[in-house]
Amino acid sequence: MYGVYELQNFHLKIRDLELGIFEENGFRIYRRGDLKKVVVAESGRVVVNPVEPVNLPKNITRFLLIEFDKPMVVEPKSNGKISLTFPIEIAVILAGKKSFEVLDVFSFVEPKYTLYGDPKNGVVCRYWRSEIFEEEEDYVKGRLEVEISNSSSEWVEVEKLVFDVYGMKIYYGESVVAFAEVRILSEKVAETEFVDRRIGKKSLELYTARKIPMVGKKFVMEWGF
Amino acid sequence: MDLLDLRVYGDVTVADVLIVVAVILFAVILAKVVTLNLRRALADKIKRDQLELLTKIVYWSIVVIALISVAPILGLNLSGLLVAGGVAGIVIGFASQSVVSNLVSGLFLMIEKPVRLGDQVEIEGISGFIEDIRIMSTIVRTYDGLYVRIPNERVFTSNIVNYTGNVARRFEYRIGIKYNDDVDKAMEIIREVVEKHPFVLKHPKPDVFVEDLGDNAVILSVRMWAPATEWFGVRMELLRDIKKKLEENGIEIPFPQRVVWFANELELKK
Repeated sequence: MYGVYELQNFHLKIRDLELGIFEENGFRIYRRGDLKKVVVAESGRVVVNPVEPVNLPKNITRFLLIEFDKPMVVEPKSNGKISLTFPIEIAVILAGKKSFEVLDVFSFVEPKYTLYGDPKNGVVCRYWRSEIFEEEEDYVKGRLEVEISNSSSEWVEVEKLVFDVYGMKIYYGESVVAFAEVRILSEKVAETEFVDRRIGKKSLELYTARKIPMVGKKFVMEWGF
Repeated sequence: MDLLDLRVYGDVTVADVLIVVAVILFAVILAKVVTLNLRRALADKIKRDQLELLTKIVYWSIVVIALISVAPILGLNLSGLLVAGGVAGIVIGFASQSVVSNLVSGLFLMIEKPVRLGDQVEIEGISGFIEDIRIMSTIVRTYDGLYVRIPNERVFTSNIVNYTGNVARRFEYRIGIKYNDDVDKAMEIIREVVEKHPFVLKHPKPDVFVEDLGDNAVILSVRMWAPATEWFGVRMELLRDIKKKLEENGIEIPFPQRVVWFANELELKK
């Protein structure tokens, strides 16, 4: 269902949700449930793909916190891989004449937010709870493959990870996948980053499409993990 | 004699004055064009308060450079001004104490940054949004849309409450239920409504507890955290949702009531 569609023939059904651009009284109307938007365009394309999950109900942060269902203990001076999930938000983007406009973002997941750190210096994050090695679910949750390295000389317990989603590269095909690296620097500090591993088709990044400048995409977790 | 060669004072002619006026006008126009383009180029790249500060610095730098460069044409010797400036500074300082005080306070406000543009604040009992932090005064737009100018000296020496200074803030409801109602059920309903709202933060965890056994009701306290930018909207939505959900489940919010005992049995008048 994800992909690029011609404006004239854009009509989709994802799970029980119908969306598309329909002709009404000589106008083109984008419709998803009760949401309606008039589209004034002769030609162009519509891109439907999963995007960075920080847009609903409105964008207030650029951080995603994933809490594990059970803590994970990492050996000193070691590397490992885990598979988590992340919430899927689907964007409908109008594309044409070398520019993009986000028409709509929707999700089959109820959004929730949390605070990482203290109220003065911390950050508000999109909250998501995931099992370690959890399976993805179509249109609901994607797979996040995380490479963890512990460069400290201590055993560390990890219960949550925080990522800056402005550098998130999401790929879709058989499933929705993103990749990240986590470097544990000490018992209290870790550095997280989304990385690019080409697999399947790449989603259009919303924060690149919106021309929001990205200043670094690494996040330093300094209030524990 | 040509009009342009007419002496205004000393060696300064009308032509010199016209050149100075033209240069200053050009500098002002140039400063406006540069700041306008800066705004266009950086509007979505840096924060609004930083952009305002940057454009003010650029604007006044261009104007001051132009003034300094044309000063010799008017016969103003800047080195002489520096010497005179010491004495003049003391005189002007005494004469314009409040102006200087506001100016210095403005500079300190810009360095310390207790408030930023767009913050929701309360300064000396005035609540609203910070619209502008100028060199002499701070402009607040109150919640009912009024323009309030507060001199920077007063802003600097007052207690400032910045509602959006931290990323998250806590707020609280006190909800009374009838003594006959099931307290545990009521708390569970409230907890469900609160946790369902996206902007009620997961951590710090919301609290629901019995705070008081009041005269007319059991008082439940509901405390929760929300992003500082969203808390007021959340506060308005949730109270309505809690009331509706409690009513749907047969839990009433009681009116004040008093049980009256009569010492003697009441007799109806015949």
